[in-house]
Amino acid sequence: MTIVLVVGFLLQSSWPLLQQQGIAFVAGTEWYPFESLYGMLPALIGTLWAVALALLIALPCGVAAAILSAELLSPRLRSTVRFGMELLAGIPSVVYGLLGIWLLIPLLESQFELLTGRTLLAAGLLLALMILPTIMVFSEDAISAVKQSQREAAKNLGIGWDATLWRVLLPQAWPGIRIATLLSMGRAMGETVAVMLVVGSIDRIPEPFYNLLQPAQTLTSRIGREMAEASVGSLHWAALLFCGLILAILAMAISLLTHRQRLVV
Amino acid sequence: MNLSHLQYRDTISKSIVWLLAIPALLVPTIILGYIFWKAAPVLDWNFISGAAEGIGFGVTEGIFAQLLGSLLLAVMACVMAAPFALGTALYYCIYASSRQQRLLIAMFNMLQGIPPIVFGLCGLVVLVNLFSWGVSLLSGAVVLAMVLLPLLVLNTLAALERIPLKYTEAGRALGLDSSDIIWRLWLPRSWLNLLTGLLLAMARALSETAPIMFTATVFSGVVWPDSLFSPVTTLQTHIFYLAQEGNDSQVISIAWGSAAVLVLLVAVFGLLARVLKKLEAD
Amino acid sequence: MTIDPRHENFQQEALPSFDTVSPNREAIALQVERLGLQLDGKVILQEVSFSLPVKGVTSVIGPSGAGKSSLLRCLNGLLTQWSGSVAVNGCDTRQWRGGWDQLRRHVGLIAQKPVVFNTSIRANVCFGLKSWRQRRHADELVEKSLRQAALWDEVKDRLNAPATTLSMGQQQRLCIARALAIKPRMLLLDEPTASLDPHSKQLIEQSMLQIAEQTPLVCVTHDLAQAQRLQGSVIFMCDGRIIEQGPGEQLFAQPQRIETREFINWSVCDCD
Repeated sequence: MTIVLVVGFLLQSSWPLLQQQGIAFVAGTEWYPFESLYGMLPALIGTLWAVALALLIALPCGVAAAILSAELLSPRLRSTVRFGMELLAGIPSVVYGLLGIWLLIPLLESQFELLTGRTLLAAGLLLALMILPTIMVFSEDAISAVKQSQREAAKNLGIGWDATLWRVLLPQAWPGIRIATLLSMGRAMGETVAVMLVVGSIDRIPEPFYNLLQPAQTLTSRIGREMAEASVGSLHWAALLFCGLILAILAMAISLLTHRQRLVV
Repeated sequence: MNLSHLQYRDTISKSIVWLLAIPALLVPTIILGYIFWKAAPVLDWNFISGAAEGIGFGVTEGIFAQLLGSLLLAVMACVMAAPFALGTALYYCIYASSRQQRLLIAMFNMLQGIPPIVFGLCGLVVLVNLFSWGVSLLSGAVVLAMVLLPLLVLNTLAALERIPLKYTEAGRALGLDSSDIIWRLWLPRSWLNLLTGLLLAMARALSETAPIMFTATVFSGVVWPDSLFSPVTTLQTHIFYLAQEGNDSQVISIAWGSAAVLVLLVAVFGLLARVLKKLEAD
Repeated sequence: MTIDPRHENFQQEALPSFDTVSPNREAIALQVERLGLQLDGKVILQEVSFSLPVKGVTSVIGPSGAGKSSLLRCLNGLLTQWSGSVAVNGCDTRQWRGGWDQLRRHVGLIAQKPVVFNTSIRANVCFGLKSWRQRRHADELVEKSLRQAALWDEVKDRLNAPATTLSMGQQQRLCIARALAIKPRMLLLDEPTASLDPHSKQLIEQSMLQIAEQTPLVCVTHDLAQAQRLQGSVIFMCDGRIIEQGPGEQLFAQPQRIETREFINWSVCDCD
C-alpha cells in the first residue's frame, strides 16, 4: 500500500509541474513572441553570470583550501577546519542574504563608487561564499582518499611536493572535485533568497555584456519577487512558471551529469 | 639538473596554495563571528521568548512566535515526508527490480537538485490555489515535505544499505517474511542512522526560505496559527522581511538576532546528527 | 673509509683514491657507519655498519621485526631521524645537494607491494623524468628500462594501455622499470617478490642479477633460497643489529655465529 502511495505521490509531484509548465510554455511563447524572448534573456544571462562568477571564485579557493587542509596542516588543525566548514555549509541562505544586503553592498558601493551596490557582482560573491564550504569539504575528501602508497611511490622516485600534487594527487582527486563543482553549480543556480536581496532585480542585459557592476536579474530572483504580485492564471503567471521550468530543466541536466559521473566513476 | 629551479617550483606552488586558501578559510570564519557580534546587543531570553508585536513597520523585539513557527513547519514537513521516504526506501530494497532501482535513484537525484523555489511555485499553484487551501501552515508543510523528500529518501536508503547482507540472509533463512524482516531486523539495527537522516532533514527544513515564503507565511504579524489552514510566521521569513525594511538600527539588530538564533538552531540539529553518526560508528 | 676485503664481488680494480666530497662512481657504492634509529622510544636499529660494493646484489635476511625495511628507508631518506652516517659514493646523504628528494633519485626504492600510477604503462615508466619534454621523447629509455626489468616482451604492443590492467607480477616489474628509468646509482628492494607467483619471482630474480652487473642492489628478503640464488653477499640482521655479514656461500655453508646458524636451520625446517 505504501508502495502505491509512494509511486503515486512521486508521479503526481513530477507531472503537475511539467504539465503546468507545459501549458504556460505554449502560452508564453505565443502571446509574448517578442517580449517573452526579451523577458527570459536578461534573467537567464543573469543566472549564468552569477553562477559562473561564483564558481570562478569558489573553485580555486575551495580546492586550495582543501589541498592546504589535506596536505599541509597538522591533523588537529585539519579537523578544526573541517568542522568549521561543515558548520558553515549549514547556514541558511537568508542569513547570507542579510550579510549581502548590510555588509557586502555598502562595501561594494564604497569600493567601486556605485550608485547602488545591488549588482551581479554582489550576487556572484555571495554565491561564491555559499558554495565554498561544499567545494572544500568534497575536495578534501577526494584528496585524502588518495592512498598513502601513491604518495610514497612518488617520493621514492624523488618527485618533489609540487609535482606530486599536480601529477599524482589532483588527477586522482579530480572525479570527486568534479562532482563537487556540479553540485555547487546546482545550488548556486537555485539559490533564491540571498540573490533576491542583492541582485537589483532589474530586467536588463548588462551592457557591455561583461559589466558586472550593474543591477541585473536572475531567474530565481524574478520568481521570488513577482510570485506575490502576479495574478494566478494570467500571462505574467505563465511567464513565471516558464522561468521555473527553465530552472527545473537546468537542474535536472546538471543532476544527470553528476549522476552519470557517479555511474562511470 | 637545475636544483634551485626545482626547489623554487616547490615554494611557488606552496605559496599559491596558501594564497588562495587563506581567504577561503578566513572569510567564512570572520562572517560567523560577524553574525554573532552584530546579534549580541539583542540576544537575551526576552528576545527569544517574547512575542513580536506590531504590523508592518512597527516591529518590536521578540521572536518567540517566529521560532515556534519555524519549528512547527519543519516538524510537520519531516513528519509528513518520513513515512513516504521510508516506504520508498523499503520498496527499493525489497521489491524493486534492478531497473526500477536505477530509475528511482536517478529520479531522486534529479529531484534533489531542483531548486526549492520551483517547489514553492508549484505549491502555490496547486495547493494554495487549486486546492484552495490558501496560504497556510498545511500548504507550507506539504511543499517543504516535497523539498525534503529526495534528501530523506537517499539518506534512508544509505542507512538501510549499511545493514550487512548476512544479517538479512540469516533472517530469511529462518523463514521470516518481509514485514518481519523490516520490523524486527532492520529497524532496530538502523534506527540511529534513520534518526540521523531525520535530523539532517530538520536542519535543512529550518534553513529553507523560498518554498515557504508564499505558501505558508504572510508579512503582517501573525502570532499563532489558529488552525492548519491559517498562515504562520517563521524565523526565516521574518529575517527576510526585516532585511528589506532595515534602516532603523533596532530593526537591524533584531534581524541579526533572529539570524543568530536561526544559525544556532540549524547548528544544533546538525551537531546532533554528527554526534549520532559518531555513536553509530563506535 | 674501510673496505671490507671479505666481499668477493668487490672489484679490486675499482679502488682508486677518491675524493670524499664529490660523488665518484668508481668508489664504494655505500658506506654505512653506526646507523641507529629510534622511533617512539623503541630502538629499531643500532650500531649498523656495513659497506656495499659497486656491483652485485647484497641480500639482507633476518626474522620479522629485525629492522630490515627500516634500514632501507633510512638509506633512501624516507626516514630521517637516524643517527650515524650514511655515505653514497663517498658523499654523506645528510648533505646531499638538493636535499632528500635529490637523494632519492640516486637511491631508488622498490616497495613490497607494487604501486602503479593511474596512467598508461609508458607514462608510468617515465614518471620519474622531470620535464614534460623529457617524457615526450623517452621512447628509447622506456624500451631499455622495460627490457632490463624483463617486461618489454609482454607489453611492447600496448604501451598506452592503463597500467592497472597488468597482473601483480607485471606491475612489480613495471615499478622496477620505473625506478631504473631515472638511472639511479643504487637500487634498494624491499621484499620485491613477497606476494608474487613463482614465474614472476623467477623473472624478477633474473632481471635483478642482470641489473646488478652495473648497479649495486640491496634486497631484503624472507626467502633464504632466494638469497642464495641471488649470489651476492649476505647481511644477517636480528633485533636491529647486524649479526653477521659476508659472501653468501660462506655464510650459508659455515655461519660463524650461533644466531645465524639457528636462523638458517629454523628457516630451512620451516620452509615449504
